[in-house]
Amino acid sequence: MELKDIKAIIDLMSKNDLSVFEMEKDGFRLKLQKGVGDQPAMAAPIVVSATPALAGPGAAAEAAAGDATGLRDIVAPMVGTFYRGGSPDAPPFVDVGKTVTEESVVCIIEAMKVMNEIKAETSGVIAEVVAESGKPVQFGQVLFRVR
Amino acid sequence: MFEKVLIANRGEIALRIIRACKELGIRTLAVYSEADVDSLHVQLADESICIGAAPSSESYLKIDRIMSAAEIGDVDAIHPGYGFLAENAHFAEVCESCKIKFIGPPSQAMHAMGDKNTARSYARKAGVPITPGSDGIVEDEKEAVKIAKKIGYPVMIKAVAGGGGRGMRVAHNEPSLMTGFHSARHEAEKAFGNPAVYIEKFVVNPHHIEFQIMADAHGRIVHLGERDCSIQRRNQKVIEECPSPLMTPGLRKKMGNAAVKLAKSVGYENAGTVEFLVGADRRFYFMEMNTRIQVEHTITEEVYGCDLVKEQIRIAAGEKLSPHVAHAVPRSHAIQCRINAEDPERNFQPSPGRIAFYYAPGGRGVRVDSHAYTGYTVPPFYDSMIAKLITVGATRESTIDRMRRALDEYYITGIKTTVPFHSAIMRSREFRDGNYDTGFVERVMASENFDLKPTRTRLHE
Repeated sequence: MELKDIKAIIDLMSKNDLSVFEMEKDGFRLKLQKGVGDQPAMAAPIVVSATPALAGPGAAAEAAAGDATGLRDIVAPMVGTFYRGGSPDAPPFVDVGKTVTEESVVCIIEAMKVMNEIKAETSGVIAEVVAESGKPVQFGQVLFRVR
Repeated sequence: MFEKVLIANRGEIALRIIRACKELGIRTLAVYSEADVDSLHVQLADESICIGAAPSSESYLKIDRIMSAAEIGDVDAIHPGYGFLAENAHFAEVCESCKIKFIGPPSQAMHAMGDKNTARSYARKAGVPITPGSDGIVEDEKEAVKIAKKIGYPVMIKAVAGGGGRGMRVAHNEPSLMTGFHSARHEAEKAFGNPAVYIEKFVVNPHHIEFQIMADAHGRIVHLGERDCSIQRRNQKVIEECPSPLMTPGLRKKMGNAAVKLAKSVGYENAGTVEFLVGADRRFYFMEMNTRIQVEHTITEEVYGCDLVKEQIRIAAGEKLSPHVAHAVPRSHAIQCRINAEDPERNFQPSPGRIAFYYAPGGRGVRVDSHAYTGYTVPPFYDSMIAKLITVGATRESTIDRMRRALDEYYITGIKTTVPFHSAIMRSREFRDGNYDTGFVERVMASENFDLKPTRTRLHE
């Protein structure tokens, strides 16, 4: 989803007098709500929320709207512990700036003592490493962002 | 006692389990699908882990993901709730091998009672009366016809792996037996992955009466009386009451003892329910045993003064059966109405969507077990039950009056619910007389006096 797509949706909402638009696809959620009457005024009309990160009480991770241009998320397809390399002292599979293809192994998620190699399933350049090595990740959690 | 429990379920039962854990000082870990991110139980749990996409097969049924979550959450025990993996013996075995306590019976007891056919043979061995039927799985239509002729029509074709009213067909004669045999097998294959069926005598318009069993790991097994679940629509329970209007102290003793005997014969532990069919002549036949906590455990709790989910957790932690449970006596009457997100005016078609306004009834003798709230979106991926409304009273009559009153103040807007349907039943003469059986709902809905008139107030506008 790019900024121009979001602008197009807002346009359609105004034209058709719609106040709420919500969509969800592949771990990405978008909700657009027009401020109406006694609704609390919102600082930013656009709320982009990633699937909530692993827990503390009340924790619901919400990524700032910021720059939604062209960045794609690589998300966890399973539950387990995220590792950037094949073993604790091994170098990470990928770093920011690394070019990946769909088949590139980007990380390991360990579950029940089984090391699972996770593939990028998208091609581009690693823009951001989001998950922390050695920490648990849940299904749908953002691991990397790719440009 | 456990330090942390993982709740492998969703909706109202997940909330129920979290409440019991909180009262026992146990930390809770909720696993949830992407469709349940805003669910109340996820918000109330101490920790939560997303385990998959919306469809149950992608999340709540994914044993590997649940076990991974249990591992990273470092839990001591898992409560499976009801449905999903609650009666999956393989899941219980996986927990056992991972040294995480499965809050429920031993896997071997689940195997014994999980197959409806082997359960019948255990009942036969324990001297518990069973409906006349096939000795085992019926392999082909020739055998089906032979058995049906022997036991006499009408007969019921039932899936051995069945549940929730599916994989069942009634046959009144040979032609309907042939079609029923094949369609039951087909439905069973699709719903449970196992087409095997058996045949038993169909007791016409029976009462469905079940007994609550509670057993600890030290060999003590008791029953906590019966629940009458005869009010059903398409073989799914809609209203339950405790005690049964049909019960007598003598019959309760006989049936209760039979239930305990059966549970003992399979080395049962934790909560379970033994279901019987009872004819108008008060003859009873073992139907099946559910090796889990049930949706309607609530009315037993109200009548017998106990918390069955807390007791499940205590038993699983190794404690002996609590004295107040072991010596429980019935001291009131209770009724439960299952409130579903369905449109009773359109043949109960599912009505998922956003609840615009939600107000649940209160006051003396009213209990609401629900995960619903104003602004909550009922997802379309799971069963449609959004609340359980329970009323308690000194007599059956006052309990019904209270339920009628409570339903009239239950406001749920934005989606359709079965509240008006329950209101109409509470007002029906037949229900108030306690003169009902499993054919009741169909009869009452067809009658002219059945009026689905929802109450209107300013709160709707």
